[in-house]
Amino acid sequence: MLNNLLPGKITLREWSEHFKDIDDETIRRYRYYDNDTWGHYLQPPATFLVYGARELKRLKFDNSLSSLRMWGFVFNESERLFRARQAGKKVVATMGDLGIVPVVVMAFPECVPFYPECIWWTPFFNESNVLLDQASELGSPEAACFSRAALAAFYKKAYFPEPDIIFGSSGATCDDFSGVMQLLEHIGNEIIWLEVPHRPLQKRHGSSSVTEKTSAGFEYPKRFIEYLIKEYRKVWIHMSRLTGVKDEALLRDSIRKTNQLRSLVRRIKQLWSQADIAPFPAMEMMTIEFGNLYGYGDIDEWLEILRMIHDTIKNRVEKHTGVLPESAIPIAWVSPAADPYLLNFVEDVGLRVVITEYVINQALVEIAEDREPFEALANSFMHASLIGSTSQRIQSIKEAVRAKKIKGVLITNVLGGSHCAMETRQIEQALDEVPVLSLDVPPPFGITEQIRTRIEAFSEILRG
Amino acid sequence: MVRKDILTSRERFGLLVIDERPDRCNVLPLITSHAADVARVRMRDYYTSGTTMAKAQISALEEYRHDAISFFSEVGIIAEALGSVFEYPDHDLPVLKIPVLTQEKLSKITLPDPATTKRLPLYLEGIDFANQALGDRIPILAYVPAPFTTGMMISAPDTFLMQTIREPDVIYDIMELSLQATIDFCDHIINCGGLPVIVDPLASSSVISPRAYEKFALPYERRLVEYLHRYDLDIILHICGETGPILDLISSSGADLVSVDKVDFSVAVSKLSHQVRLVGNFDTSAILFSSPNAISMEVKNMVRTGMKANRGYIAATGCEVPIHSPKENVQAFISAAKEVGWYWD
Repeated sequence: MLNNLLPGKITLREWSEHFKDIDDETIRRYRYYDNDTWGHYLQPPATFLVYGARELKRLKFDNSLSSLRMWGFVFNESERLFRARQAGKKVVATMGDLGIVPVVVMAFPECVPFYPECIWWTPFFNESNVLLDQASELGSPEAACFSRAALAAFYKKAYFPEPDIIFGSSGATCDDFSGVMQLLEHIGNEIIWLEVPHRPLQKRHGSSSVTEKTSAGFEYPKRFIEYLIKEYRKVWIHMSRLTGVKDEALLRDSIRKTNQLRSLVRRIKQLWSQADIAPFPAMEMMTIEFGNLYGYGDIDEWLEILRMIHDTIKNRVEKHTGVLPESAIPIAWVSPAADPYLLNFVEDVGLRVVITEYVINQALVEIAEDREPFEALANSFMHASLIGSTSQRIQSIKEAVRAKKIKGVLITNVLGGSHCAMETRQIEQALDEVPVLSLDVPPPFGITEQIRTRIEAFSEILRG
Repeated sequence: MVRKDILTSRERFGLLVIDERPDRCNVLPLITSHAADVARVRMRDYYTSGTTMAKAQISALEEYRHDAISFFSEVGIIAEALGSVFEYPDHDLPVLKIPVLTQEKLSKITLPDPATTKRLPLYLEGIDFANQALGDRIPILAYVPAPFTTGMMISAPDTFLMQTIREPDVIYDIMELSLQATIDFCDHIINCGGLPVIVDPLASSSVISPRAYEKFALPYERRLVEYLHRYDLDIILHICGETGPILDLISSSGADLVSVDKVDFSVAVSKLSHQVRLVGNFDTSAILFSSPNAISMEVKNMVRTGMKANRGYIAATGCEVPIHSPKENVQAFISAAKEVGWYWD
């Protein structure tokens, strides 16, 4: 049985073999929306290969039941959204802000938030240009970020149902995705727009500004909070109109649940990064971290999955076991990997990711429960990675690097992502205390020998 | 007029199996060995080389723009791996020469390793090739003979049929062996990215009685479907030949999609379409002998009926497209189905 396996990373074929040992009762136990007909999600990676996720064939996965459960849940998201609609729930697209609007949406019963831009993983998992080519045809060029896949997904209506309502945050967000959202509106989608303010450097506030600070110490004018409260109230009003629900106490409940998630992920990350031996692979950890954005549309089930993962990791740490050799060299990873294969590969060459800065800081911090809910949401958003200056981001990364005895930093630069293009070189140059490797992540199925060789050389430098 | 597709075949099939309406119905004439004719490869090369089979399938797909790649040559593939001997004609499909149970006791037969035994690995190689080439946009279907059909290919058919009456326990033993071999093969297919499609032509009412179907074929179809459902795959059960008398029984197999052949399709729709998705059922002799105009008209009628199916419909032929079918007839089928089968506004 799986319980007897030593922790490790295994292939899709190996998972299929282990899956035979899982009894039917366990398979039936894990289901979403409590539906026994279509809600089961404990499946081996091979199932998703059959439905087109071709990259799974060359990836390696953690061999725990908790990890299998997580992958099944994550890969079922598209179906889950359609099933949500079929079950009478409202499906709400929240775009651009990465982490706050879903907290408001989740306050409303039977409402399911999702991030269309998160479909940018699909071309990589499917090793496919279908969505990216379609996006190009719709006007979002090859030179734009992979998040343009969302444009094609809206057009095709095959990856998620037509949302009941669409929120789009623009302003101090990803420029490329702002462009994508405009095109979305152009092809007939009505978007409720929110404006996200830029968090300027302290010296530009003006001496008369009343300021507050994030937990990282970055100041911002208090008037931004007042502004954001208005924006989030706008979300609330639209959701109230959609559902007929007006009870603002529900928002406090949603914040509490969101904090349960964020606190659990913080503890998981702590265990993971402080352990002598890596207790869980980096690819799975990235999936966990991104789950903070919206709980993959079913925060209750996602919380259950994370509790199971937490137990797996804790157990491994206590037993002093893990998935990588103890000699693996600790590194930090800046910006999302885009192609999950990269996270597999760095571990194959002897590196171990212990710090991540995936530009979703706002989704990692807990939201104050003792403040007025909308104000608390606004405050928490001011931690966002992308709304501040690059120097602020560099400062955060530097502090994390110093605190964790990191030997190197790997930065993934999303080809076409304009903020990546502007930021990456600056971050690279500023991190002068440890070796840094920055990679331009190519389109799907584009990881070449040259990229592999660069990562191998980076590993050798760090080892030396 | 045929409209421009919005979805890929992969996306279209993906929506069908989660009870959503795609842009148009999936169009899937069973283009199996006919692909060799399209690609102009020798039939023997087609079924003895996985890569050749895959390339021929891709050629057929480029020619016709239908909605899936279909790996299949004939129903003897698992029986051969279990020890039955087949002849390989140059220009026709393999022919059963010596059923293994005429030479060997059942207890002496061992389960084959699909990765290494006879033609099973060729299928896997072909599926792998096709998946790498087009798996992101086209479903890769692998037709796998059901245990009953394999059972009849490892026995002398007349003996097998007599045993269903006189020695049912022997049949059950044969079926257990066939089932396990089929499951092992399916596991390998899935790991290559193929979706197993269960075919049980020798269990049709053209061959056995509904009672024999219920007693010997159906329980093993059901167990195979149950096993594949552990993967949460959507399983097509295809029974060509006469299926009218066993329609109700077929629906109890647990298959998610039922592919029928010789049956009044409106009856199949009214009887089954609340429980399963329907696939079918154009007469393949018409594909061989009829004219494009006549095919077009009949296909449109069939598709209009099929689109009334509550849980979804795939426009298909009732059996394999005959090897030497005129291309224009196959094209007529596909164009007509695409034209009438549009769901979206």
